Amino acid sequence: MTEPARRLGAVLALLAAVTILAGAGALFVGSAPISARGVVGALVGRGGDVERLVVLDLRLPRIAAALLAGGALAVAGVGFQALTRNPLADPAILGVAGGAAFGVVVAQLGGVGTTVLAALGLTVFAFAGALVAAGIVYLIAASDGRLPLETLLLAGVIVGLFFSAAITVLISVVEFDRLAGVIHWMLGNLRAISPGALGLFGALQAFGVWLILGRARQLNLLALGEEAAQQLGVEAERLKLRVFVGASLLTATVVAFAGPIGFVGLIVPHAVRLVLGPDNRLLVPGALLAGATFLLVADTLARDVIAPAELSVGVITAFCGAPFFVYLLRSRSGSGSLSP
Amino acid sequence: MRLLILIGLLLAAAPAQAFIARDMRGHAVTLPAAPQRIVSLVPSVTEIIFALGGEERLVGVTDFCDWPPAARRKPSVGGMVAPSLEAIVALRPDIVVATDEGNSEATFDELERLGIPVYVVHAHALDDVVALIARLGELAGRGAAVPPLVERLRARVRRVVAAVRPYPRPRVLYVLWPEPVIVPGRDGLVTELIELAGGTSVSATSPGAYPRLGLEAVVASRPEVIILARHGGGDTPTLRATWTRLATVPAIQAGRVDAVAGELLHRYGPRVVDGLELLARIIHPEAQVAAPSRAAGGARR
Repeated sequence: MTEPARRLGAVLALLAAVTILAGAGALFVGSAPISARGVVGALVGRGGDVERLVVLDLRLPRIAAALLAGGALAVAGVGFQALTRNPLADPAILGVAGGAAFGVVVAQLGGVGTTVLAALGLTVFAFAGALVAAGIVYLIAASDGRLPLETLLLAGVIVGLFFSAAITVLISVVEFDRLAGVIHWMLGNLRAISPGALGLFGALQAFGVWLILGRARQLNLLALGEEAAQQLGVEAERLKLRVFVGASLLTATVVAFAGPIGFVGLIVPHAVRLVLGPDNRLLVPGALLAGATFLLVADTLARDVIAPAELSVGVITAFCGAPFFVYLLRSRSGSGSLSP
Repeated sequence: MRLLILIGLLLAAAPAQAFIARDMRGHAVTLPAAPQRIVSLVPSVTEIIFALGGEERLVGVTDFCDWPPAARRKPSVGGMVAPSLEAIVALRPDIVVATDEGNSEATFDELERLGIPVYVVHAHALDDVVALIARLGELAGRGAAVPPLVERLRARVRRVVAAVRPYPRPRVLYVLWPEPVIVPGRDGLVTELIELAGGTSVSATSPGAYPRLGLEAVVASRPEVIILARHGGGDTPTLRATWTRLATVPAIQAGRVDAVAGELLHRYGPRVVDGLELLARIIHPEAQVAAPSRAAGGARR
């Protein structure tokens, strides 16, 4: 076994252990007064109806949703950052999350439920919104078949602002008594979703992660610059398209299932890069696990700090994320470069 | 004949078993027996169940269920938009009463997935309030308490209507929320209450229950009385300051800007009649309308 491969294995095993520990720990936290013995009982199929309902039908699916969403957002962030060769890129900054959110708000105002079919419909709307946003960004930024990065980022910011304005228009015509619900959704919230929807969520995330992870080596070469990458045999345009679609799909799925949760796509890849270095083969799985753990911890806090009322997880990610980001930047400054 | 007896026996036996009802959306709600444990996600519903004396079966409420004071001692399941599902489950409710105007539909779907029946209510008119009282009486096993409560409320409404009848009807602007200006529209309960209190709501023809209104439209409607809703411990002088700028509006010139506790008028419990009496006293100070009883809570603030 080569040295990098051994290091990859060790780091991923450690991260996976932390993720599993966090997931197991979160099962014991919640506003229903259930003892640790009750939780374990429910897991092994014993215990009362209430215990089983809370642990198996509420906590477990919500933990799974948090892990999936966190991992997806972090990998989407890695994808967008590698694509734009800019550590500040994330789904929100490129306008993709805004487009997806617009799609979901349109679908929600049309009145969509939470069945598996409805969840699929919502995802389709979100993905359509994300692709429309990404398409517009591309059309604005592309010149002579190339995609200058400064223009791309600027176009992303503009398109994001446009879609958030469009959402504001929709919100200002919505009935007063539905306003609270829409605003609540806009803050980003995880829910215990049905097993069918969870399966759909997981399948879409897996596909999105595969689209990016499968090209991690080429993304490393892209970091050297597009011309250098071309000379090393990377088909830059096809690579960028594939990663763009993958990252957009990941973003859109999370927006459809949990609303626009900010900061995860920005902080987690950056933090993982500061610790593990810029190799995308290590960064993608590392961000997947770290993002999953981060969002799970944030969501567990969200459902417990003001229990029985719940905070929006988006509030927690922003609240904890910003200072953490500053700390990492200060303590490890200089090693955040994107080039391997 | 034997068949008739059989049918008679079946009819006699069935209702004692299952509890079957239709909620205000028209969805069928079927329970194995009459509900013994009710969770209310709606402050109005909590108020009605207490008013009917059915609070023993009320096992959970929201953080916003603050009336009567005893409601605060019931276990809370969190807010209205995002209540804690596991807190609800832990209370082992037979039924959850919710509204499609303030709770989120995602909550209904999740509760139904967890096998907890949801009974959805709403009200846009005083008749709906009466219907809701009757429904909750049935739900909480307090059917006998419904007619006396409804009759008391109806008598008070009749007294208000009779007291304001001799007087001309001023144009009334009711401000539910100041920024943006949200007013009661065609389908709003407050619109009907203003009419009953002897006024004409300037926003009575606006579409929907609670539409937004531009300040220009406010000025153009030339309201003669402006009534501002206070929310919680809202400060009346600050509320008024925003409006006194509009000096050409008749209500401002006449100094007829008043405030009422919004919770009396926006909730659709028995206290809407307290709200009606307060509205009538503001719109027609010359009429002899009885003050709401001191027990109404919101009126004291």
